[in-house]
Amino acid sequence: MATVTLKNVVKRFGSFEVVHGANIDIRDGEFIVFVGPSGCGKSTLLRMIAGLEDISGGEIAIGGKVVNDVEPADRGIAMVFQSYALYPHMSVEQNLSFGLRMTGNPKADTERRVKRAAEILRISELMDRRPKKLSGGQRQRVAIGRAIVREPQVFLFDEPLSNLDAELRVQMRVEISRLHKELGTTMIYVTHDQTEAMTLADRIVVLRGGHVEQIGKPLDLYDNPDNQFVAGFVGSPKMNFIKARVVGHEARGVVVELAGEEKTRIVQPLADAAPETGSKVIVGVRPEHFGLAGEGDADLPVAIDVVEHLGGTSFLYARTANGEDVVIQRDATRVPDTPGITVSIRKSYLFDEKGLRLR
Amino acid sequence: MRYRNATAYRFLTPYLLIFAIFWVWPIISSFMISFQATRTVPWRFAPGFNWGRLIGDPAFFNALKNTLLILVIQVPVMIALAMVMAVLLNSPLLKARGLYRFAFFAPVVVGEVAYSAVFRLMFSLDFGIVNKLLNSIGLPKIDWFSNVTPAMALIMIAVTWRWAGYNAIILLAGMQSIPEDVYEAATLDRVSKLKQFFYITLPLLKPVIVFCAVLSIIGTMQLFTEPFLITERGGPGGGTETLGLLLYRQGFRSLNFGYASAVAYTMAALAIAITLVQLWLTREPK
Ligand SMILES: Nc1ncnc2c1ncn2[C@@H]1O[C@H](COP(=O)(O)OP(=O)(O)O)[C@@H](O)[C@H]1O
Ligand SMILES: [Mg+2]
Repeated sequence: MATVTLKNVVKRFGSFEVVHGANIDIRDGEFIVFVGPSGCGKSTLLRMIAGLEDISGGEIAIGGKVVNDVEPADRGIAMVFQSYALYPHMSVEQNLSFGLRMTGNPKADTERRVKRAAEILRISELMDRRPKKLSGGQRQRVAIGRAIVREPQVFLFDEPLSNLDAELRVQMRVEISRLHKELGTTMIYVTHDQTEAMTLADRIVVLRGGHVEQIGKPLDLYDNPDNQFVAGFVGSPKMNFIKARVVGHEARGVVVELAGEEKTRIVQPLADAAPETGSKVIVGVRPEHFGLAGEGDADLPVAIDVVEHLGGTSFLYARTANGEDVVIQRDATRVPDTPGITVSIRKSYLFDEKGLRLR
Repeated sequence: MRYRNATAYRFLTPYLLIFAIFWVWPIISSFMISFQATRTVPWRFAPGFNWGRLIGDPAFFNALKNTLLILVIQVPVMIALAMVMAVLLNSPLLKARGLYRFAFFAPVVVGEVAYSAVFRLMFSLDFGIVNKLLNSIGLPKIDWFSNVTPAMALIMIAVTWRWAGYNAIILLAGMQSIPEDVYEAATLDRVSKLKQFFYITLPLLKPVIVFCAVLSIIGTMQLFTEPFLITERGGPGGGTETLGLLLYRQGFRSLNFGYASAVAYTMAALAIAITLVQLWLTREPK
């Protein structure tokens, strides 16, 4: 078990910079998830921690020791690859024991570790099979088993579930969570799927274009995003963003108008300096924060395009008077059967034009 | 369905006809010729004539011995060399990879006669660069063309030079189809580069190596150009005569087609037998 610290970590491929100075403090035993859209540099960061990519600038420390110049094999990490990367010509048992056998680990200890990993992952019956003869989920277990056998200080996962079907993904997600509880080892997990991030993480690191956008507990990111990107990325369906204009200031806060009518005004308390009257802002509303007319701050008339009934809840896909798309989440029993309704906004977030949160 | 099949076959007929006449028929025909005495006019059916001679012919056994000797030494050496070349070509440290790839492949493209002439020059007793080099490091000159052992070595060197690059390219393609992340996983498993080669690359490359070996065995069984052109028709004194050369000598110099056909069939049978043994020895464990 170990802490992992990234200090101003930069990665360049040639002259092309893909990670622009990442600062991340990972605590001992923590389950941390790097999440962000594809191409944002998640894998690159993980591979730099593993030592599979050189570090172009900054420092990475594992267990307090700077590892920039330490060989990957000596960093005390184990990695699970998206493609599993199993040794195709070896049985499951050989896959698990290969590294230990090659480095002259005592035979009895190797057997003990392999047996334990097989039990933890419930793959004891598959030990003689080749990877070819395994299902996707079983292969993933073997890949995780191979990491466990190394008894690393830090586990690295690079999108381990993205090749599995939806049902298996949920199942393996639970298993990885259980594994973390059982082993208590620091785990760094990369995914582009915010649901995985929300369900697995102790803390989430949201990345975009090689920048760390925000680090925090899942619900903190959900309730208190630093910017429009994080607000939009975390949560499903996404937060709605509606263009608005500052129309004045009150003692309670800044007054923002959504759709040119007085009833569409929101008063937002602000600790920061409030934007000037007339400036453009963006109001973010989560789908579940719409209420019936009169229930909240402002009332917003919308035209309904499509209604999706999921049983317990329903989603209304609608447009505001200004033609902006919004998704509204309602109880299934309370969806009106009319082409247009007026909804209220019970809770909202304010962002400036650049997408920074105003609070 | 049946009608459609018939239509398809009607379109294929011209090809099938040509295939049958110029491919299938000669194969059958030469098999039948091998059972005929072809030095009398007209030829007559005499099953024991050629095959009987083959069993007791010292020239045949000499050619067989030479061919197998070349096969047993040259093929493994060449494939090992090709493997080394492929590893070097695959190295990320290598610059100008395309140039090397072309250079390794070039010998296959060079005309056989030109290449043989160059080899004769390079290995000539008094003017050849090889003997000059040997001399310069204090070794005696070797008369490559007048002694059997150097002549055999020369054949093997020439064949290896011509085909090692070709095999290296095939092996390289095989290596590049092994996913990079398997090596990354092994690196994280603390397995050294050398062990990665022996425990990952080699086993995963086995089908490709077997493929190269089979191709080389078939090629060497039919070896003809080098002993014909470089050591001058299997010289010295039949010391490098191969089965291919014996076949040529019997068929086109003595015009003894029956015996030549029997030799040809023996060559093919041997190539098939050796290949089958090879495939059996290297079969995938269940
Ligand atoms: N070996 C490489 N050479 C050049 N560019 C690369 C290399 N690997 C990744 N990149 C670039 O770095 C960026 C981040 O890639 P990656 O870390 O794989 O993203 P993610 O895992 O978040 O999808 C991408 O723009 C990608 O094209
Ligand atoms: Mg990735």
